[in-house]
Amino acid sequence: MEGRCAVETWTEFGFSGTPYTPKIKFGLGTNVFLCTGSDEVFVFSTQERKLRAVLQFPGPVSDLVECHDKQLLYVSCRSGVYCISFPFLLSRVQSSPADASSSPAELKISSDFLVVGEEGALSLLLVSSVLLILSQRDTSWLLSLYKTPEQTQSSSYEMLGSFRLPQVLADLNSDTEGQTGTRRRPVLVCVHPGHPKSPSSSSTSSSEMTITDSHFCLEPVLFKLLFGIDAALARSPVILCGLPDGRLCFLPLRLPGSQLRVLRSLEQPVVFVGASVVMETGPGLARCLVAVGEQGRVVLMKTDKGEPEGGGDMAGFIEGCVPGPVVCSFVDEHHLYYSTGSDLLVLDLSEGSSWREGKERDGETSRKTAAAFQSPTSLNVCRVIALAAPALNTTGDVQLLGLTIRGQLQRIILPAGREDAGSSNLPSTQVGRSVRDLLSAIGDVCERASVLKTAIKSKNQILRHLNHVLNISFLLLANKNSEEHLPMQEKQIRCYAETRWSRLLQKDSLNLTCVLDNSSPYVLEQGWTLSITVFPLSYSSSAEGESSSTNFSFPFHNLNPGETLEVSLPLSAAGDTSFPMRVSCSLIFSLSSLLGEEETAHLPSLQSSCISLPLNTLTVDWLHTLQVNSPTMHPISRNATSQSSNITTDTVQAFLNSHRSRCAGRGEGGGEGASKAEREQCSASVRVSSELLRDTLVLKSSDLDPRGPKSTPQNLCSSLLDWLLYESPEGVKMGHQGDRFVLSSSVVHARGPTGDTVKLTAKEVNVGEESLRAIEVQIESSSIAAVCGLHHAVLRRIQTLLQIAPERAASTMRVQSLGLRQALQRA
Amino acid sequence: MSDKMYQPTNLLNKWVQENNELVNKCKQQEGGGDTLSRDQNQTPLRSYSSEFHKLLRKIQGVPPLVNHTHLELSVVYNACVCSTAQSQFTEAELLLIQAIQRALQMTGDEPVASNRTVFWRTVLKSVGNTTFNTCVRYLLCLQWAIWLATCQLTIIQELKEELSSLFETLCGGVGDDKKNEARGKSSDIPLLVTDPRGLVELLQICTSIIQGAERLSEGQSSEALSALQTASSLPAPRALLAYVHFLSGSCLAHMSRPQMALQCYRKALVTDACCVSALYQSMLIYRQLGNTQAEIQALRLLQSTLMLPSVTVPALATTHLLSPSLLLCSQSLSSLLSVPSALSVLHSLALKCVLHGRVSEGVEHYLDLLAALHSEDQHGVHAEAPALPRLPELYLEAGAALLMARRPADCMALCNEVISTTLELLPEKVVLEDPEETSEAETRDMSVDGEDRVGMLLWTGAAYLLQGHCHTHLKDWKQAVTHYTRCINLLVRVRFKKKGFQPQITSGDMVVKQGTHLCILQRLKGLSLAGRGISFTQTDQLKEALRDLLLSLQASPECVGAGLWCGEVLWRLGRRQEAAACWEKTWSFTTQHHSAEGLPVYLQEPQSGPLLDSTELRHRIQELGPN
Repeated sequence: MEGRCAVETWTEFGFSGTPYTPKIKFGLGTNVFLCTGSDEVFVFSTQERKLRAVLQFPGPVSDLVECHDKQLLYVSCRSGVYCISFPFLLSRVQSSPADASSSPAELKISSDFLVVGEEGALSLLLVSSVLLILSQRDTSWLLSLYKTPEQTQSSSYEMLGSFRLPQVLADLNSDTEGQTGTRRRPVLVCVHPGHPKSPSSSSTSSSEMTITDSHFCLEPVLFKLLFGIDAALARSPVILCGLPDGRLCFLPLRLPGSQLRVLRSLEQPVVFVGASVVMETGPGLARCLVAVGEQGRVVLMKTDKGEPEGGGDMAGFIEGCVPGPVVCSFVDEHHLYYSTGSDLLVLDLSEGSSWREGKERDGETSRKTAAAFQSPTSLNVCRVIALAAPALNTTGDVQLLGLTIRGQLQRIILPAGREDAGSSNLPSTQVGRSVRDLLSAIGDVCERASVLKTAIKSKNQILRHLNHVLNISFLLLANKNSEEHLPMQEKQIRCYAETRWSRLLQKDSLNLTCVLDNSSPYVLEQGWTLSITVFPLSYSSSAEGESSSTNFSFPFHNLNPGETLEVSLPLSAAGDTSFPMRVSCSLIFSLSSLLGEEETAHLPSLQSSCISLPLNTLTVDWLHTLQVNSPTMHPISRNATSQSSNITTDTVQAFLNSHRSRCAGRGEGGGEGASKAEREQCSASVRVSSELLRDTLVLKSSDLDPRGPKSTPQNLCSSLLDWLLYESPEGVKMGHQGDRFVLSSSVVHARGPTGDTVKLTAKEVNVGEESLRAIEVQIESSSIAAVCGLHHAVLRRIQTLLQIAPERAASTMRVQSLGLRQALQRA
Repeated sequence: MSDKMYQPTNLLNKWVQENNELVNKCKQQEGGGDTLSRDQNQTPLRSYSSEFHKLLRKIQGVPPLVNHTHLELSVVYNACVCSTAQSQFTEAELLLIQAIQRALQMTGDEPVASNRTVFWRTVLKSVGNTTFNTCVRYLLCLQWAIWLATCQLTIIQELKEELSSLFETLCGGVGDDKKNEARGKSSDIPLLVTDPRGLVELLQICTSIIQGAERLSEGQSSEALSALQTASSLPAPRALLAYVHFLSGSCLAHMSRPQMALQCYRKALVTDACCVSALYQSMLIYRQLGNTQAEIQALRLLQSTLMLPSVTVPALATTHLLSPSLLLCSQSLSSLLSVPSALSVLHSLALKCVLHGRVSEGVEHYLDLLAALHSEDQHGVHAEAPALPRLPELYLEAGAALLMARRPADCMALCNEVISTTLELLPEKVVLEDPEETSEAETRDMSVDGEDRVGMLLWTGAAYLLQGHCHTHLKDWKQAVTHYTRCINLLVRVRFKKKGFQPQITSGDMVVKQGTHLCILQRLKGLSLAGRGISFTQTDQLKEALRDLLLSLQASPECVGAGLWCGEVLWRLGRRQEAAACWEKTWSFTTQHHSAEGLPVYLQEPQSGPLLDSTELRHRIQELGPN
């Protein structure tokens, strides 16, 4: 059964999250009153199809109710209940200058209109001349009765009494409230005992009573069964009250000594209470009470014919569950309409009319019931959050008023005559209308479809993203497993770095420029973060190692294959000597970036979860930190210029350094007698076989330079120094300030990070008896720290050099170890 | 230097002014807002309270100074009055104690006693004759009010002497008061929202009332009486004096001196015509004494008083912010003062009238009651303990009264109402359990759908019975038989189940307890069978008549009409000896017991219908005798 609904949008209001659930009410002529839960009440005229007035209240409006006879509108607000006379309202609307234009009149409702100063009123109901107010006090629900005055002008609302119902502890409302911040309004309706012989005096005609939102005439037997003989005898209207804690309570209004009693508990917030005819027996008398809970529980209350023996009719409660959350609901003679927020569904209640026929078919009927509840028909109208029936039903088909979450007021005309679908001989005047309906229905479906499409698209997007992430993870993990075998250059995603001295605010500082190189076939998309941890190598094993490490993270957007990302981070200020430093790079992917912000807000555990993939580790040693003086400039003078600014501190520093080195020098004794005598400098030296160097360095440099440098010892010395200073065997190289000057000599003057001058000398020496030629790199500085650090750095470099040189004779090793030994001795 | 000198006094003046403005506003509101109910009065009161508290915070922001103390304590008094009037007792008490401690810091000694009695004694001693002596006394008044409102009577008893001296100094010092008033005109004296003198008077009488009520409920009637008699001479509002008289009357009633109690109740009523509880208690005494006419009179008065719109809520004069109703919240007092609702009084009145021969008056009351129940203005908000009977029973009682008043058509209409309401719900078969299990069975039956099915069946049966009576009254024998038959058909649906036995139709030889379903069932059976039998006699179906009358006597042997008519039928059938025996037996029953007492009025034997003249019957027996 495919129902196609005609949806006609009348007007649109903008509104968003409000403290109370919205409500629409048809009444006082052809007007629709809308309270969206905010401070305003909108008055919409269905005849003129326009908004007539906006009533501005001092606080959020929780409910409104109209008094038809006296043309009054009662509106409950945070501070109490206001009463507005409709003729007054109309006169204000007409007299307002805005009448000429289409914009509605705005009326501010002051406290002059306040009639009952009861705070926290949530729901209102008017039963003849009694105004009922349901409010929530600290620990209980309070239903207060006020007598409305006979004259409209008089403002004395006499309190007749109040009924209290203690609140149950587990408030089912809390979770919904937490999600949307909206308080569900308790449902307050009035049930009149319908009587075939004498229709209730308060209702003009019984059929009309059935239709109005909050007053029903119930079939007498069911009334008696549910609410007792006394209420029926006294012809007392019964107040039904569906609370957000799931209880459905009733109160016979005119019975002496009556109390609020619980009729049934839905165990979920009650969304709707209504009455339906279901079986056409009495004239317009409802044969069935319907209560709907927020999570879809539907309770039908009807008369069960008694068994032949044992006898008597019983009140039958049929419970079922419709799929999906129920945002709002409405019942007409045979159908239950409800909106899940994404669709409007209709449930045929008369299908279940077989339920009352007999108990012997219990199993069968219950199965049928369940099936009926599980298969509501979709009407393809989305986002409806409030429903009401228009009072005037001229054409005879079912019309509903709906308010969508976007604030559109819609008239929903349901497909007429679903029962007699065959006889669809539309009069010609109706054809045009139906085409229009069809178009608007298509429009509605389009809207729904586009919503679904966006959802699917974003899902696909997320999946693709996740696929990329996984690919990259596997790639990097594979790298990690085979780290030993793969030289760094072959890694597809890696980091390399460059040190660079910069001078900012008269402070020298060493910056590290890290470059993330993506040579993999995958794109690094949004959500990835480059994380760089810098920690001094010498502390890494000690207890305070953790505290001295610094972490930098750089989130980035997209890094396509072949692209690089360059980030810069401060490594150390001048004077910091905690080199060598280890720079460990990793890529981090946060799972929360896969989903949007709203989704992640619900999953707090996801916010912290991420994938961390280590890339590679770089080492910044002393050699990287050297500031090489140009060979043309005298080291001392250069020194002086660069340090002139902070001369005071540096002289002290120099003094301390010199003092320290003097002590060190004295302690050593011997070794570098000449230099010590001259400038009291420390020195260390490393010797490397020149053959090895020739093989490796020349080989390397010949790649760069097609001519190839001559392998003279002099050349070899300078190229060794060049290599030490400027090459980047492990991905870190020294940045050059200005041009990289060619090292022509075998002597390099430089400044270390502490500011000491350092002299590196390379010369060819003979080692031992076997005239093994070797290059000796001598490090000289007044600072022992610099000497030690540089010595360590040079050794490390040469070690890597040895690793690169694949097949070297044992002799080389010997030389090297000899050199090491010597170096150690000297140190 | 001079600035520093002036600033505090300037501030002081400003604060005094602020206080006085607030007090004046408060008093104006009080004067103008009489019509507002207590609930609606709360909102401005709340704002005043917060204003006073704000002012107090400002004043207490400065370290305690001697010349500030008078103002500070006055503001504390005002703030506490507002808090107490909103029933925020603990807050008020805390504020009060802290203020006094702060004031005493200046005199040097700080009472640190946690015991309230000791605390106040030391405070009163150390205050002595200092300047703020009167202020502290005013605060003690408030403390008294709080104790009273929270029913801490033991403390009041412990501090009895201090409080009575407080009462005497405050009410006795007339000259001092004049001086105060004179000074009050020069706007630098902080005003008070409530006159402490009036407050202390009110406290004195309220304390007497509550203590009297407590003692009475503990059974110490004579002690209570003597205390109340001294209290009756105190200056107090009329309503409260009426309470004193009323309580004295209750004490006397407890001491079984009903006539003296009646005197006291009368005094209470003279003092305050709206003291409905005195009226109610006198009614109960008349009932106890068996003075039906006086009882009915009292009920009528009570009912008309309760119908007055102002009386439903005890109209205690609310001249002060602290109203007597706030101070008189003792449980025992309210239980003594409680009065049933107007409707249930009306019901008792109607029933009494019907039972004691004032049928037409009773009928009027019943009709009033039914009209009230159906009026739109009726709202079930009065839920007192002696509630009305269930509505169907009320209808049946009214119907029976109407029949007694020879209005059978109206009676039938009422019965129709009951029948149409219950008929669809009646069970086809129902088992009445053994009396020992009845309570359980009933509760279980109730829990199914809120109604007692057996009870419902019995109501319908009674309605048919009354309709039968009506037709009998109208001499429409055929209709009468129909309705009695309907009643009987309903009654046989009930099976009686004795523990361990099969359900069975009830029979007359079972021991039946009064007031139970079983008792009513048997009575209904007896009456309906008798009615049908009598109707048969009128249509000369003597066999059927005899069968029914015998069955009726079996079900309910005490049924007089059935006995007499049974004899009559036997007589007509020529079984004269049996007839005579039957009559003799019936007469002996009527002299032995009045089994109809305690049964609902609609289960009484009908006074209308065909009657047999006992003297004529006796005459017949005499004629028969010699034979």
